Amino acid sequence: MTRTAWWRRFLARGVFWRQVLRFGVLSSPPWLEPLVIAFWSAFFMVWGSARRGIMRNLTVIKPGSFAIVNFFRSYRVFWNYAWTIADNVRFKELRTIPDWEFSGWQYFQEMQAREGAILLTAHMGSYDLGAHLFSETSSRRIVMVRAPEADPQTRAFEEDHAAGGGLRIEFNTRATDLAIDLLSVIREGSIVAIQGDRVMGDIGFLPATVFGRPTRVPAGPFALALAARVPIYPVFVMRLGRRRYRLVTARPIELIRSGNRDEDFARAVGQWIEELENAVRERWFQWFTFDPYWPEVAA
Amino acid sequence: MNVVIDRPQARWLPSRHHFALARLLAFVQLRWSKGAGSPTPEHLILSIDRDQSAAEHYCAAMWTVLTTASYIAVLLPLRMPFAFFIAVPLAFFAIHIPVVGGGLILRLLAGDENHVTFVSVGAMGMLFLWSAYVARTALWARFVAWFFFAVVATNAVSWLLLRLLRAQVRTAEERCVL
Repeated sequence: MTRTAWWRRFLARGVFWRQVLRFGVLSSPPWLEPLVIAFWSAFFMVWGSARRGIMRNLTVIKPGSFAIVNFFRSYRVFWNYAWTIADNVRFKELRTIPDWEFSGWQYFQEMQAREGAILLTAHMGSYDLGAHLFSETSSRRIVMVRAPEADPQTRAFEEDHAAGGGLRIEFNTRATDLAIDLLSVIREGSIVAIQGDRVMGDIGFLPATVFGRPTRVPAGPFALALAARVPIYPVFVMRLGRRRYRLVTARPIELIRSGNRDEDFARAVGQWIEELENAVRERWFQWFTFDPYWPEVAA
Repeated sequence: MNVVIDRPQARWLPSRHHFALARLLAFVQLRWSKGAGSPTPEHLILSIDRDQSAAEHYCAAMWTVLTTASYIAVLLPLRMPFAFFIAVPLAFFAIHIPVVGGGLILRLLAGDENHVTFVSVGAMGMLFLWSAYVARTALWARFVAWFFFAVVATNAVSWLLLRLLRAQVRTAEERCVL
């Protein structure tokens, strides 16, 4: 192993921190857990690029906000993130599930009753935990699409400690093959869950305006919905408190073929962005976007 | 999965609480409360797990950190309240001693498994011994230690009461769940 490879495990996205998290979940008494999480949330404030990314994004979400206030707000983001990933590991290792509240229940039931649908969500609350809950309580099969871990050791660790169960996970690295696979999965009546708030890696995108600033969203979910002729259900998993989440299902997005593909996409993206903005405005402290989201903010 | 569906009052199941005192208070709330209190969501899944209560665990965590900080403050060569302000962040480090130390030792001895119960007993044991030491001194922190033992005693009495009331507790839980 090279010197560089040895050190990589200690980088913010390195495997060491995943191992620490798992160790913490398997060793930390629940009555000490708030203290442990408060400590480690403060520790991760030294992850400068993530802290600055959160603060820059907050300047757009909360126009006119002061940098010092956004500094403390970034702690709240880390605090919620720490609870969320700890809950996810606890589920994987100990099968402990949190309490769940549902909002937009009729849309959620409608999605489950349909022969195939797309569940579009964001990097909010606990996507993984929500997908696992769904797979264990629903008669429908769910296929979760996600970006792979950037670090190879972290990726191997996550694969070794996957929760198992009925949930199938696909990585969005092989775009063309995956699109065909997902299309057949939807046609079999399953639900495909995709995160649609940010473009990661070399994947297709559509232009969008979020909080009044231009950015890009993944094109995949919209193209898939158009090809499979199924609606998109915006779903957000929001953390309400300790071991307590709310699953919010919004009005479905119907992609109607008008003959103008760009307009069809623009209409669907507009509805998705409206739901995303509402969710982020309400729970900005649970939007786990650690890089500057808007190109002009990153500059 | 051990869950209760669409029963908001199940939030107060004693089985969802860890310490005897919290379980007893939950039983009182479950037995005598009129309604759910907060607005009922459209659909609700409540997990039956003894560590599910947020209020109980936040209270226990606050109590632990303040108690530990008080014990550390009296060791520091500083005057109050500066000693206490310095002791609070140190207390956050101190609570990692049983978690990290105990967790690592148990991992070496028993393997890569769930050691939460043993670490929990060890951490509470350390706090108990430290409190026993401080309670016998003439320092102001002895009042904190006495309070610690008062809480421990109240919890023990609650445990005895729950033992006596176990039939009623079971009936109340079954009535809520079924």
